[in-house]
Amino acid sequence: MNRIDRRNILKGGAGAALLATVGAVLPGEAAAQSQPQRGGTLVCAQLSANRRSAGPNNHRHPYFIVDANTKPIWSTPTWVNPQLGVELEIASKLEPADETLAVWDMTLREGVMFHDMTEMTAADATASFEYHRQNAPFARQITKVEQTGKYGVRFTLESGNAEFPYVLAEYNSPIMKAGPLETIGLDGIGTGPYRIVQSDPNRLMVLERFDGYWRKGFPYLDRIEIHNREGQQESALNGLRSGQFDAVLNIDARAAVQLANDPAFDIESSKGGYSFVIQLPKHPGSPWLDKRVRQAFAYAIDREAIVRIAYGGKYGWVSNDSHLMVTDPVFVPRPGGRDVAKAKQLLAEAGYPNGINLGALYWSPQLPEAGRYFQVLQQTVRDAGFTLTLDERPNDGYIQFRTGDNDFAKANFHKFAMTAVGSRNPGISLFRMRGAFVESGHWRGPEHDKYLALYNDAMVTADALKRKAIYAEMQAILHEEVPAILAAGGDTFLVKRKHIRNMPYHPQIWSIRFEEIWRA
Amino acid sequence: MLIAIARRLALSLVTLFMLAVFVFVATEIMPGDALDVSLSADEIAMIPPERLAQMKRDLGLDRPAHERLGAFLGGVVQLDFGRTLMSKTPVTTIVGYPYRNSLILAAAVLLVAIPFALAIGIAAAVWRGRPIDNIVSTVAVIGYSIPEFVIGTVLVMLFAVTWPIFPATITASTRDPALTLLAASPLAVATVVIGSVAYLARLVRTGMIEALASDFVERLRLTGIPEWRIVFRHALPAAIIPSLTAMALYAAALVSGIVVVELVFAYPGLGQELVRAVTRREVHVVQAIALGSAAIVVALNLLADLAILALDPRTRRA
Repeated sequence: MNRIDRRNILKGGAGAALLATVGAVLPGEAAAQSQPQRGGTLVCAQLSANRRSAGPNNHRHPYFIVDANTKPIWSTPTWVNPQLGVELEIASKLEPADETLAVWDMTLREGVMFHDMTEMTAADATASFEYHRQNAPFARQITKVEQTGKYGVRFTLESGNAEFPYVLAEYNSPIMKAGPLETIGLDGIGTGPYRIVQSDPNRLMVLERFDGYWRKGFPYLDRIEIHNREGQQESALNGLRSGQFDAVLNIDARAAVQLANDPAFDIESSKGGYSFVIQLPKHPGSPWLDKRVRQAFAYAIDREAIVRIAYGGKYGWVSNDSHLMVTDPVFVPRPGGRDVAKAKQLLAEAGYPNGINLGALYWSPQLPEAGRYFQVLQQTVRDAGFTLTLDERPNDGYIQFRTGDNDFAKANFHKFAMTAVGSRNPGISLFRMRGAFVESGHWRGPEHDKYLALYNDAMVTADALKRKAIYAEMQAILHEEVPAILAAGGDTFLVKRKHIRNMPYHPQIWSIRFEEIWRA
Repeated sequence: MLIAIARRLALSLVTLFMLAVFVFVATEIMPGDALDVSLSADEIAMIPPERLAQMKRDLGLDRPAHERLGAFLGGVVQLDFGRTLMSKTPVTTIVGYPYRNSLILAAAVLLVAIPFALAIGIAAAVWRGRPIDNIVSTVAVIGYSIPEFVIGTVLVMLFAVTWPIFPATITASTRDPALTLLAASPLAVATVVIGSVAYLARLVRTGMIEALASDFVERLRLTGIPEWRIVFRHALPAAIIPSLTAMALYAAALVSGIVVVELVFAYPGLGQELVRAVTRREVHVVQAIALGSAAIVVALNLLADLAILALDPRTRRA
């Protein structure tokens, strides 16, 4: 892979800000440590859900493909590396046009070919982002996208966003061949290392190497078969054990622990894959309105015990009551550890000297360890006087159940409930704690206003260190205010056979570089 | 005879209508809707409420239930189940191949299971109380009692992992030819066959014991007709008639009810499609599968009734 000239990613402090998060290992370096071989097929099973059921008409469109399968077919302007830093990908240059950070200029690489051997130009990028800005949540901030040259594109945003390059790395930011909004992307033609040769919606995708791929020397494999085994981990692992599959992506921690003892397989894990958030409803009459109760709860949880019991110790990590993952460079650990005495004292000051019954904590089995995770939490907070029951709800319709529609008259509002959250860049992660009722925090007051003001400042702050300081300040507010609880998180895993090489996992599953995988 | 047939046909149509209403109501009371499930929390958080409302309108999710019921029933009459909510694909296109695949699996299972079940059931009845009957009865109870996912998992462990003879999971595509699909599915077929043979053999055995003990068989024996001829020519048809309805229902259940086996082996059949449709709140797909499966049950039941009418003259007088 061409090394990126770090000075060129962004000019000024914004570039430095992003570069601060770029990891030390660049793609390709790991491969260079051994002798990659060309050819062969990778047959893998994918356990991730495809939320948007594909049908015969749209099964080659990137929006209707499992997110992990999009990057082998389509390239995005930028790429998020395993350390959650952003790098240039199909863009050769990306920089803010001025200090407002609300206008960004992108230059595409020249000579990048689509699978039909036509050259990608700015016309394709503008058509693609015209589609994305109307259909992808993270791209909605783009108010205008215009062509500034054969390879030049200008993005105008609603407001400044120093972390806009992350948006261009999303799986919903691929560059497709230009076409009308109604049909763009349906042909399945991208500029990625592999092209689609067979697609059975929601079941199977067969890809073959694209010889015109812009990263010279890649891909290594001739063919990739990706079998969708959503919710069928045992079936997928049986396929692995019998030799039908070379790898299974997204296995759970328990399976990872078991398979780690089998000499036939390698487990690849990625730190900081996801965590669970517990929202603390703050409607009238709720005990959670009192900050001291929220603080007491945060002190009462034995986060280490959750990591030990739910994740077997090494596959989990203590979170800090923000949506940031532990691997994020701006992550600030929560000060102090578990303090039951302090929790009791805070509860007493809040008017609950004999403890408090919180009723039901709702949870849904979004991940295999969820049940165990919340049992541990339930047990450990009891020491400080918190009593709660666990009420399991089905995943179907859970989002609606959990957040409600903020209708107090119908008692349909935030529940004392959990949900899983994945890894994103700091801006998006910290934005998730804003006061909107659909968000985990759903809080208000002067500290919230200060939090949002800091967020807005951060988004237009180009200097990396200054922005990191703002993020630290925001996290300090969360530690003090505890709008929601994020006690611990877990890693993500894949299992592969030994002869499959250079297939490290990624905290964002859609950012795995399939073109660097090879067979020994 | 004609009146009896007409009566059963009319009854079947009424049953189907009631089933259609029931299926609609059942899908209505499921929590959430297609939009809730198709959008992640991240996305919902980013979408303004007015746009969410517009998306609901676009999907027809804001129309009153009675309007949607009317449209649904009108479509059913024309075998038009509409389009999927999210991808706008005709539902018949979505469920067509899964239906075909489930029918293929059920047919393969019955083709293997019925001869085995007949042979075993007849042998157990003819040698009633002997060791062979005891073995057959015991094994049949065990075979019928063990859940199919246990049988499937054991077969996979033995014949795919320990001795890698057969594939553990089915990697064939949904649209692959029938033979390709079957060649990839020996363990799935075997799993269902084991339970099916156990169930059907017990039915055959019970019917045969009754038939062999009946007066008309005694009279045939007195005439000196060879025992094998009595068994196969006279007792067997008499034994099968009472079991026909049960067998028909079992065959129908095979088409729509082997969800667990489909999940264990990742067989691209109706069960998987149904699970996917339910989790995606694709109510039109759920309705098509549920109603189609119910129609198969009704149709096979009707066929069994008609067969009994044809084979057993006593029923025509009823």
